[in-house]
Amino acid sequence: MKKISIFGLLILIATVTIIGMINPVAAQDDPAILLKIAQNAQEQIRNNITDDSSDKIKELFKDGSSQVDALKEALQNNNSESAKSHFLSAMRIFKEISQILTQDEPASAEMAPARVTIDDPTSDLLKLYRYTHNLKTISEAHHTQIDFTKLYDLFGVAREQIASKQFDDAQQTIRQINQIIDDIEKQLRDKAAQQESERAKKYAQNYLEQLDRLIESAKSQGVSDDIIKRLEDARERLSSASSPEDIIKEVRKIISIKDQFELTKNDRLESRIMQVEKTLQRLSQMEKADPQMIQDAKETLLKIKRLVQASEFEQANDLLRNLADQLNTITKSLS
Amino acid sequence: MNPEIVSIHREEYLREDGMLFVRTDGILETMVKAPLIMVGLIVAVIVMPIQTSFGSTRTLELTIYSDGSTHISHQIDIDPLNPDFETTLFGPSIDNFVVVGETGFLLSSEISGNVVSIDTFGSSSITIDYDTHDLVSKEGRVWTFSFNSPSDYTLLMPENSVIVGMNALPNNMELIDEQTRLELSSGPAEINYILGVSTIPPNNTTTETPFDYMPVAIIAGPIIAAITGITLILKKRQSKPLPQTIQNEAIVDKKENKTIDTETIFNLRPEMRDDDKEIIKFISENGGQVFESDLRKKFLQPRTTMWRAVKRLERLGVVEIIKKDLQNMVKLKEELEEEE
Repeated sequence: MKKISIFGLLILIATVTIIGMINPVAAQDDPAILLKIAQNAQEQIRNNITDDSSDKIKELFKDGSSQVDALKEALQNNNSESAKSHFLSAMRIFKEISQILTQDEPASAEMAPARVTIDDPTSDLLKLYRYTHNLKTISEAHHTQIDFTKLYDLFGVAREQIASKQFDDAQQTIRQINQIIDDIEKQLRDKAAQQESERAKKYAQNYLEQLDRLIESAKSQGVSDDIIKRLEDARERLSSASSPEDIIKEVRKIISIKDQFELTKNDRLESRIMQVEKTLQRLSQMEKADPQMIQDAKETLLKIKRLVQASEFEQANDLLRNLADQLNTITKSLS
Repeated sequence: MNPEIVSIHREEYLREDGMLFVRTDGILETMVKAPLIMVGLIVAVIVMPIQTSFGSTRTLELTIYSDGSTHISHQIDIDPLNPDFETTLFGPSIDNFVVVGETGFLLSSEISGNVVSIDTFGSSSITIDYDTHDLVSKEGRVWTFSFNSPSDYTLLMPENSVIVGMNALPNNMELIDEQTRLELSSGPAEINYILGVSTIPPNNTTTETPFDYMPVAIIAGPIIAAITGITLILKKRQSKPLPQTIQNEAIVDKKENKTIDTETIFNLRPEMRDDDKEIIKFISENGGQVFESDLRKKFLQPRTTMWRAVKRLERLGVVEIIKKDLQNMVKLKEELEEEE
């Protein structure tokens, strides 16, 4: 029996260790990409080396090129460990050469690309465009009537100005874009604040239901009357809280009581159920999802909720794992 | 609290010889608790996936702009039971910050330094988008991206950039238009790159960005449909027997392309670089002519690098560059001159 226990322990330790090791391991999907990156760097450096370049640079480039050759050979021999090592060495050398070349460059040559970067507002425009796209998506989610037409027109104008190298004009247009974005931001934040109040109340309602279950469970587990009284008081305060700030404050207090008296063991299960429920909801809205599979998953979820209400946490946990597998199957069937 | 555990340690420390050996009876007593430890470990193993599922990154996507700023899009799974969520941003200088819940609703947030506190109210996942100026630095012409990522992530490099240094191993790489997209693992990474001199007019660059494609689609849609229709009609016509002379021309042309012998080229041009030989082989395998854009896709090379390679081959008299449909067609020469 004891030998079996030792054996079991060893397996478990190995399992825990392996699980811990899985994440940091980076397996290259295609080691050949290392060669592509190294060769690109090699080519870039080669083009920047002239007859006037220092001997040190030439020597380094020779070393770097040898590393690239070794990398190529390692890949041909399917020796990925060696390939990784040669890749890192080559890239380290090419970086060193680039830095030396940069130091050797005359000031005028160094300033040239930087000046273009400063004048050309393409990056600013791209960033604003992306931000605007995010705001538009939020606007649609909140069903606002914000008109983005003028903003997109201005993006078109700025693009044309950049294309014709009228960078000052483009900067002016970007300033106009920023002003409009500020207005839109304000409208969206006002709208979001209104809806947040509703979401906070709904959240508090769900939390109260969960808290009721916790109090019932605490009573059945023989938790002291003092703790139960504190939970019931906190419940009362949460039910009377109306603003999002107050709701957050009261929930934090309840979490603190739970932590203090080690009553959080079922919270993760409840959280997981909520998360899985949302995933199921999302999947059920997808046309490609198999209706029968969705129905089965919904029934499993219902069973889990009943088990939680009956304080059958172990069984609920087991079923939750089954449900997670079911959802994985549905997700895979969609791809 | 637990006298049994204390007693085991006490027995070990009270050994008369004072040496650091474990007594056999101690092991046996420990073995009694082995099932308990085992149960504990089983619980740890079972609970592990649940524990890591909250506050964990679902996706992390970074885009470096040519001015050195970085856009971050971070999707995180969070505990729906908690009313708020706090996380650290990747840098203190933040622009265009926006955070939404899974339904796309804007969530209230407060940034202090590089820590953001978000009122989540039951959301099970959030997406944070922002720009930061803290991940890229510049020294001379060399830009350096430094990032210690908590999870695996993707990194889209700026257009016309060439990586010249790297201390991390990428999991994957692909070329999207003119931009390199890397997949990297969690942990520290430093990537050095140089922005090439762009040969593309700025308006071209904007076509590769997520601008509104709808107007283009409205105009281009019917045109593409028309071209497709015409192509189909032409193909149908071509399937009919061609006049004998045209057929002969086509056969001759095909035959000529097939007769290109790469070994002869390499023998006549022994100084040709190995990577250029690969290009020649690829062109030869594709009937003796390919678009330059196809070469870039095949060899994952930036535009400028491939252009130099092609020009090098042209100087060697191995290929000729022909403009076709506003693109560069690289064609193997039918006859090679012996070098002097």
